[in-house]
Amino acid sequence: MMMIIFFCSVMTIASLYYIFFFPGEVYAGEEKTRLGYLRERKEAVYENLRDLNFEYKAGKVPDADYQSMRTSLEEEAAAIMAEIARLEQATGQAV
Amino acid sequence: MSLIGSFALLIALDLSAYSFLAGFLALRDKGAAWARLGETARRAGIAAFAAVLLAGIVLVVAAFNNDFSIAYIFHHSNRDLPAAYKFAVLWSGQEGSLLFWSLLLAGYGFVLRLRYKTDQRLFAYASVIIAAVQVFFLLILNFAAHPFAIMQGALPADGTGLNPLLQYPEMVIHPPMLYLGYVGFTVPFAFALGALIMKYPGEKWIQITRRWTMVTWCFLTIGVFLGAHWAYAVLGWGGYWGWDPVENASLMPWLTGTAFLHSVMMQEKRGMLKVWNMSLIFATFLLCMLGTFLTRSGVISSVHAFAQSSIGTWFLVFIVLTLGVCTFFLVANRSHLKSEHKLESLVSRESSFLFNNLLLLVVCFTILWGTFFPILSEFVQGHKVTVGPPFFNRVAVPVALLLLLLTAVGPLLAWRKTSLESLKRNFLFPALGSLAIGVMMILFGVRPWEDPSYFYATMAAVLSALVIFTVISEFVRGGRVIAGKSQQNLFAAMIHLCHRNTRRYGGYIVHFGVALVVIGILGTPFNREVEKEMGFGDKISLGPYTLVCQSYTQDDNPNYGSEQAIMNVFRGGKQITTMYPERRFYKASGQPQTLPRIYPSFREDFLLVSDLYLLYEGKNDTTGQPIIKAHLNPLVPWIWIGLIIMVFGTIVALVPNAAAVQVAATTPVRAPAHVGAGG
Repeated sequence: MMMIIFFCSVMTIASLYYIFFFPGEVYAGEEKTRLGYLRERKEAVYENLRDLNFEYKAGKVPDADYQSMRTSLEEEAAAIMAEIARLEQATGQAV
Repeated sequence: MSLIGSFALLIALDLSAYSFLAGFLALRDKGAAWARLGETARRAGIAAFAAVLLAGIVLVVAAFNNDFSIAYIFHHSNRDLPAAYKFAVLWSGQEGSLLFWSLLLAGYGFVLRLRYKTDQRLFAYASVIIAAVQVFFLLILNFAAHPFAIMQGALPADGTGLNPLLQYPEMVIHPPMLYLGYVGFTVPFAFALGALIMKYPGEKWIQITRRWTMVTWCFLTIGVFLGAHWAYAVLGWGGYWGWDPVENASLMPWLTGTAFLHSVMMQEKRGMLKVWNMSLIFATFLLCMLGTFLTRSGVISSVHAFAQSSIGTWFLVFIVLTLGVCTFFLVANRSHLKSEHKLESLVSRESSFLFNNLLLLVVCFTILWGTFFPILSEFVQGHKVTVGPPFFNRVAVPVALLLLLLTAVGPLLAWRKTSLESLKRNFLFPALGSLAIGVMMILFGVRPWEDPSYFYATMAAVLSALVIFTVISEFVRGGRVIAGKSQQNLFAAMIHLCHRNTRRYGGYIVHFGVALVVIGILGTPFNREVEKEMGFGDKISLGPYTLVCQSYTQDDNPNYGSEQAIMNVFRGGKQITTMYPERRFYKASGQPQTLPRIYPSFREDFLLVSDLYLLYEGKNDTTGQPIIKAHLNPLVPWIWIGLIIMVFGTIVALVPNAAAVQVAATTPVRAPAHVGAGG
């Protein structure tokens, strides 16, 4: 019984020590911003463009469809990049 | 021993409760003091894992030490139980399996809390939500289903043993797989709910949870199929899926989880279906909880439900509470989930995903309705009305065929819209190939117009072939592009292609596995069976086989006594194997069990492989003659091969992408100054 009480006490003390005693600063990650989100979107659209190009090369997409889809994706990317540029200008952040 | 286990559970509850409350408070502000509070919450979550792990270890050690002072060990083990099953005692009964649920959740939480630097704030939200779920399970374990409860009265000399149905090697693997799936969906759920509560900008949470979701889905898939295989190899009725409530309970989250895995791609690629995806992952988590509730509460009778208890109320309260929280945040933060694009065409990859989702949900709702119909009918009419396989098959079979069609068609459709020319270009080879399969089936004597089951079987064969030809065409087309650029042979180029976009091509391999599973299922209408009392030297014929009873034998070991029939199997006049169907009588529990023996005919007919399935059903009470039952189940082995390929495909999809071969330079995009903000 004494052994069990000793074991449980050690377990409790070890848990409390681990939880409440830690040296140094706590890691605080970057806050997710609209700008960060837009950069992710830009990557997603670029990825879509790469996929489209590959499917075109594989012969899955006819010429007319390819041109129209590519234009549409490029316009989407342009819109995102325009907003990124505007936000970067507003926050004075480097590209 | 039991005191240490009890203490570990109690301290785990305290730590989880602290992790939840301190974590919740820390999310309210962003100062340094709040960050330190959040860090203590994270560490408490990690410590809770250690405590639950200790409780799990104590229970397993108690099983190995035959500590029958613990009621759970007394009821689920005995001295002569083989070691592997003693380990499996942890998940063989209600209290143990709830502890196992809690341990897996703590394990997932442990990994998540170690990786918190990926996105500190989002991980903090997810950690708090996981802690809340953990508190629920630990409350049950401490106050309603205690695994370390002590036996009252004199200490028993031996336990009552493990349920004979569970004494099968797969039962050592099946529940952990299923539970890893059930519990694992808590992680994407926690991230999704966290992202919704904090109005997380963007789709990064999906990328963070992608691997979690795929791994979880893979475990659930293995769990569902192992359950089916266990039913086939142990229950001895010759089938593998009986639409049993507990089977249904595992299938429902699998269906919504599959829908989520597909539709989430639309959110990642095009910023669409955000509310839908949230709802899907919420539904998947709730269905996982419902599955655990069904298996553990005894509310519905099932061959798989190994418990009868009162914890149902706890689960119902938790499910209703979770549903309330999810609905509240879905409504309150709906403006955050606005779609960035609209569906442009009904003939597009997006619409195929959408239809795939709708069909999966139709099947899921049908199963939900059929599973709960006995409870609803009892509530309304005062007596239970159960629905059997015909009810489920009537909806599930045609919908599954439509799903198979979408599985084939989806990858051939382009994002946004697909023109008629594109359809012609991509469909010609797969469509002709699958039609040829249909014609061949008719030539080989299948008459789809004679019986609906033959019609469904023919359609399933044609559509499975369509899926397989689609997958092949995708690999060949892509492989040719890579081969042209890198001067590799086609096979090497296809491997390179797979490595270049593992998610897409791993997914295609999974589709290929699904097609094989369907091929395995479509043999059902052609099953045959025969039953006969057989003395020495008696024969029965079944399909191409002749079975000759050589003799009967008896055996005895400390765990069970058994009788086996020794059956020689002949085909074309040659003996191909000897089978030993068996009947056991377990001593500790006093229960009998019939163990079938299965012979898959891979050596004799590879593509059209069949299972010869033999049962020794015991002796006829009046004549004293042994009874042998034989089933011939065509194509069934393809189901298990399909599973292996599905798992392989998922593993491929989990591998990080290799650097892409440059097939075309992406045109640089200029940002015009006048274009307004999107999204």
